[in-house]
Amino acid sequence: MPKKEELVSRRGLLKAAAQAGALAAAPQIMPARALGRGGAVPPSDRVTLAGLGIGGRGTSVLRSFLSQADIQFLAICDVRNDRREAIKSMADQKYGNGDCAMYSDQYELWARKDIDAVLIATGDRWHTLLSIGTAKSGKDVYCEKPCSMTIAESRALADTFQRLGRIYQAGTQRRNGANFVRAYELARGGKLGKLQTLHAEAGPGERWAPLTSHAWLPAEPEPAKQVCDWDRWLGPAPWRPYNPQYIQGRWRGYFDFHGGGILEWGSHTVDLCHWAGDVDETAPIEFEPQGMGGITPYSIHCRYANGLRLVIRDKGFMGLGSCHFRLEGDAGWVETADGGKIEVSENLRGEPLEIPPGEAPNATTNHVRDFVDCVKSRKQPRSNALAAAQAHITCHAAYIAFQLGRKLTFDPATDSFVGSDEANRMRSRAMREPWRL
Amino acid sequence: MSRQAQQRPAEPAKPKPVVIPPMVDEKYGSAAEIMALPPARLVAILKDPGASVYAKAKACQQLAVVGDRTAVPALAALLAHPQLSLYARFGLEPLPDASVDEALRAVLEKVQGKLLVGVINSVGIRKDAKALNTLARLRRDRDDEVAQAADAALARIRPAL
Repeated sequence: MPKKEELVSRRGLLKAAAQAGALAAAPQIMPARALGRGGAVPPSDRVTLAGLGIGGRGTSVLRSFLSQADIQFLAICDVRNDRREAIKSMADQKYGNGDCAMYSDQYELWARKDIDAVLIATGDRWHTLLSIGTAKSGKDVYCEKPCSMTIAESRALADTFQRLGRIYQAGTQRRNGANFVRAYELARGGKLGKLQTLHAEAGPGERWAPLTSHAWLPAEPEPAKQVCDWDRWLGPAPWRPYNPQYIQGRWRGYFDFHGGGILEWGSHTVDLCHWAGDVDETAPIEFEPQGMGGITPYSIHCRYANGLRLVIRDKGFMGLGSCHFRLEGDAGWVETADGGKIEVSENLRGEPLEIPPGEAPNATTNHVRDFVDCVKSRKQPRSNALAAAQAHITCHAAYIAFQLGRKLTFDPATDSFVGSDEANRMRSRAMREPWRL
Repeated sequence: MSRQAQQRPAEPAKPKPVVIPPMVDEKYGSAAEIMALPPARLVAILKDPGASVYAKAKACQQLAVVGDRTAVPALAALLAHPQLSLYARFGLEPLPDASVDEALRAVLEKVQGKLLVGVINSVGIRKDAKALNTLARLRRDRDDEVAQAADAALARIRPAL
């Protein structure tokens, strides 16, 4: 192996210069696509993308990215060999080449200087840590939700992206879903009068229990590291014995990996309420749980400093699909969900509620487009780091109140509970060595 | 396809609800049963040589919320345990008592490698100014991970002006 000095020797430099000269003198043959002809986006206008931990949901989001003409997907990093291969195959098939690089170590991906942005779709336990690491490597981030495991992680996320000036978009795509946008417009346009109460669905409790389990699945033999690196899969989460069910998607519902129904769906619906209620930069000051001891029906009643109320609940919506949110003001109300239908109070039935055919129906694709545009413009996307962090802090605080089973007072300025040592201890969790924020 | 169907945002295929597995400690029962015990019983589990890693892990996690200074020695005794060191830090990190800092500082001199990295990380989280000298020495450690952890902890305790 040559010494470092030899790598930059005078002779070597002269040889390289001669080769460069020869190349410059040679006829330049470049495909039209590379120059942006034939409708293709020239390389200078493309955003280069990589993926970190791309499973089922991640693949769906990646398809939305690949549908954008100005996206070039370059690399996949995953602890699972089968997923690395599947995503590489998907990308190579699209581009008609074999160029998509594969990594199992995120540090190798972060070392790539030719990557502008990273799609992160691992399990929740990794989201904040990988988002922060990616930002520190000089790249922008689109990260699936829930974006954090704790209040402390949420704050670290917002602070890091603000400090580094990187672009972050949480995967809370409903902020770019046509019917949700229309409900937002009714509220922010004053059609509902003064907003009084916001309602966020946390998913049916029978399927998405509000609290998580501390149990372990029985131990089974670990796979070979190149098949699935269990240590890296766990990442910052506490060690537990391997069981294949975790890596097959059944990690949800466990405290070490997941935030229960409150985080799973609140990360969408509480987020929508924060957006529509113009409280994107704060959190409630009171959290009062009801219905503890069972899994349904339950609710957490929250109040913001300006008097606005938020009710996180699993039941009592209008059956419009999953992910309901409802806004009530002193002059009317609106409710919508994933089914797309918008219900309003009688006095608002004359409002244009139909979604124009021209509006893109796919919230995820709109959301991805919003992100790509912001990567280019350096403006903040709709689900930016601060907005995502505040909505997640609200969800985490609601979870803590529900777990403790009592009303809690919260100070959004310090992210701390007032007069509850127990609750304050639940704001963060030790990370498994060697990981840290 | 109806517009309603078109507008449904794509979501991942969600797995069925997790059935709580029958992983139970022979002596202390399920995770839920262990975590419902009072703090003194949780500390007793940590001291019980016959208790499983599972029982001790769950006891540590509950002590993170309900433990007091009487739990610190039993938690600190697990900081050198390969599988339970993180759980011990899980219990110690949020515990508001100066004896935690003393215990973590003492272990800085006793463990190595990744476990030392973890303890350094906890010292940094707790912003223990009394650990500055030890951390300053550790940032010159031959183990790069240890040196980087010490650097990060110092930055947390004594941020740049």
